[in-house]
This record gives sequence, C-alpha cells and structure tokens, in this order.
Amino acid sequence: MKNCIEVNNLSKSYGNRVVVNNLNLAVKKGEVFGLLGPNGAGKSTTIDCILGLKSFESGSVRVLGMDPTKERKQLFERVGVQLQSSSYQGNIRVGEVCEEIAALYRLPSDYRDLLSQFKLDQYLKQPVAKLSGGEKQKLSVLLALIPQPEVLFLDELTTGLDTEARREVWQVLSDLKEKGLTLFLTSHYMDEVEVLCDRVCIINRGHVLVTDTVPKLIQKSPYKRLEEAYLWVMKEEIAI
Amino acid sequence: MKKFFTLLKIEGKLSLRCVDSIFFGVCMPVGIMILIGLIAGQNPATSDGGYTLIQSSFGALVTVGICATAFMGIPLTIADYRDKKILKHFFVTPVSPTMLLWVHAVINMLLSVVSALLIYLVAKTFFGYEMIGSKLAFIGSYLLVMVSMYSLGLLIASLCRTVKTANVVCSIVYFPMLFLSGATIPFEIFPQPLQAVAGFLPLTQGIKLLKSSSLGLETSLLLPLFVLVGSLVIGISLSMRFFRWE
Repeated sequence: MKNCIEVNNLSKSYGNRVVVNNLNLAVKKGEVFGLLGPNGAGKSTTIDCILGLKSFESGSVRVLGMDPTKERKQLFERVGVQLQSSSYQGNIRVGEVCEEIAALYRLPSDYRDLLSQFKLDQYLKQPVAKLSGGEKQKLSVLLALIPQPEVLFLDELTTGLDTEARREVWQVLSDLKEKGLTLFLTSHYMDEVEVLCDRVCIINRGHVLVTDTVPKLIQKSPYKRLEEAYLWVMKEEIAI
Repeated sequence: MKKFFTLLKIEGKLSLRCVDSIFFGVCMPVGIMILIGLIAGQNPATSDGGYTLIQSSFGALVTVGICATAFMGIPLTIADYRDKKILKHFFVTPVSPTMLLWVHAVINMLLSVVSALLIYLVAKTFFGYEMIGSKLAFIGSYLLVMVSMYSLGLLIASLCRTVKTANVVCSIVYFPMLFLSGATIPFEIFPQPLQAVAGFLPLTQGIKLLKSSSLGLETSLLLPLFVLVGSLVIGISLSMRFFRWE
C-alpha cells in the first residue's frame, strides 16, 4: 500500500526550544491515524509543518507524494484541513462561509448535503457567531469536507461537542473511511481514538514515544483500555 | 476569476453589514458636502479668488472616503482576519490568501469611488458644481491618492501585531488625517503654524494635488507628487518586508 503522508526526521524549534524532534511517521491510504500527546507535546506544530504552514529546520514531508509548500495549489485541491480553534469573519452566515469555501475548489461537494448530514441545515441563514460552541466545531469539520478530500486533517476534531454531536461526527467520518478517505487527527479523547483510529502515534515534547495499532498498544500495556494504556506510556516515558 | 467574484460577493456583503464603514466612508462626506452647500452655497472661497467654496472643497471632500477605507477599513479587516486565522486558513486551500487581500482592496476601492461619485452628484445636482480643471487629470490624481493611502493602510496592518494595536494606530492616524489634512475642514483657514505641521501629512499633499487638478491651477505639483509616490513606494516595500499572515 502507498503512503499518503510521509514524514521523515522532522525537526522544528522555536529559538532554543525544540518542539518537534526527529519525528518519523507514515500514514497509508485509507488509514485513520491519530497523533496523540499532552498539551504542548508538539501535535499542532507537527500538523502545521506537514501542511507547509510552518518552516522546519530539517527533515522532509510528503503528502500524496507532493511537497506541501512547492505544490500547494495542486495538493490542497485534494486535502481538507480543520485547524484548531477556527474562527470566522464577523457577521458571516453559515451558508455564506460554506459558499465561500466551496468557491475555492474545482470540484467541491454540495455543502447543503453536508449541512444536513451534520444536522446544521436549519442554520443556513443564521450568523455563525450565533451558533453554539459545539455547532461551530461541527461546522469547522464540515468545511474541511467541502473539497471532497482524499486526505483529511482534523486538529482536535470534537473538542467542545456534546455526546450526541460527537457520535454524528464519528458516523460521518466512519462512512467516509469506508469510501477510502485517509484521516489524520489529533484528539484528547481516547474513546474517540479507540472508535476511529487504526493506528496511533504518541508524542511528548516533540519525541515519538510509540507508534502502533490501537489493539497492539493496549496489548503491550498491562491495561484493557486505550486511556489507561496511553497514561501508562506517558508514565513510562517520565520514568526514563 | 469565478473564485474572485464569489469571494467579492460574500466579503462585499459582509462589508456592507458593517455600518461604520458606510457611515464614515459614504454618509459623512456626503453630509459634509450638503452642509457646506447649505452654509456657503455660491459664496466665494476664503483665500483663492474666483472659486466658490464648493469648488474649492470638492477635491478635499472626495478623499474622506479614501481616508475611511485606507485607515479604518483595510488595516482593521486585515488585522481581524489575521487574528482569527482566516488568512492562515487560506494557505491550506488551493487559493492564496493574497486573493483575499485583493478582494478587500477592490471592495474598499469601490466604496471610496461610490463615495466620491455621490459627492459629485450631490454637488452638481443641488449646488450647481462644475469642475474647472480636466476631469481626466482629476481621476488620475484621485487614483494616485487612493493607492498611496492604501499602501499606508497596508503598512499599518503589517506593523500592528494585534487587532487592539491596529485599532489604536488607526484612530491615531485616521483622525488627524481627516481633520488636519483639509479633507473636512478647509486647510486655508488653519493658522499658519498648524498649516506647516499639517503639511507633513501625506493626505495634505494628496488634497493639494486633487484641488489643483479640480480647479485647473497651474501650480507646481512636484512636492505632492513626490510625497504621494514616496508614500506608495515606502508603504508597499515596508509592508512586504514586515507583513505576517498570522
């Protein structure tokens, strides 16, 4: 199987502080990959480097075989991105932000269908600012799906969502996975990671601690659930 | 091109929803024009002989729209979009965030042109205004003043890291430009020392240029042209040097 995302020896620092340290990862086509770690572990910086939003000192990044900085326009026709804590133009309406994003792509999906899938269709004419936190979060995931992406990046996809809304988002993503979507996500919710992810990579202070499938990771630990296994990995690292 | 027009349509709607840009850019200068017309009407201007006050203020009043868009509209929108990471988000789409900046440049240009046209129509219909100088020269001067002021607005957006500082700097720049450059209060009635100080404002020179071309005066325009082109070059080059997308 072909690798959709390839990161080799990625290093990035802000001044003296090393944020990403010699990071390696590869995500296959159709795989759901979770990048996990505590706050400040370097997850968002890693995503920014992969997407070409931040420059880095050394290493290489390939997404769909392309260099994100050099082949930005071709690449982002095929890649959807939800950035952490997105916000929108003041007094823009839900339908308008969808229309605006859809206009940027050659073959966008019908945002009305997506709005009804996410149960946001009744808000079409409402100002985005009037939506609840959870609805805004759903909207940001929805916008990332507008390009009909082959690869989707979601940074903290369900932060602020209620249980029901989380299930809706999971359902939409699982359906897309069936159709072959490759998904790269970060999350602090291990139940979500257990449901969605095939493989995870746990990082702390820019270092990769472990990369494995979810069942194998649990198996290696003395526990039965990912949350405990995750905490165990973090603790082991501190002991080292 | 379709992308550009869709963005223009949506972002334009958003701009129209902000009442302040319409008020300061369009309603206020038209209001001042009506006020001057009602007060002074066909009275001669204070210093330069042979013109009515309306003829002498026309070149100044059309810059109020430029002033509002250049020192409020453009820098505040850019600072706000940067703060909200909207510009950053355009980097992960097939469209460059530069397109969003161009969209806003066009929206603001349209707004100032509408403001200038309304002032002209009001002055012509109600107060019998006729431009003495060449219209073409006037339009050329107007465009030069506009791009030059916009480059300074872009510079503010580049140098201010946050919306808060942009707000403060915009107010500090906007109000003196509005009141001291002669855009609203005729420059000629200022006391001499204030005129000397206000002469340093780029917009003062822009208004001199517009005034001369609207009145068809044969004065030397070297200084205004030099200041305007200088502001344009400095504004653009420093913005390119210091601009941050996030």
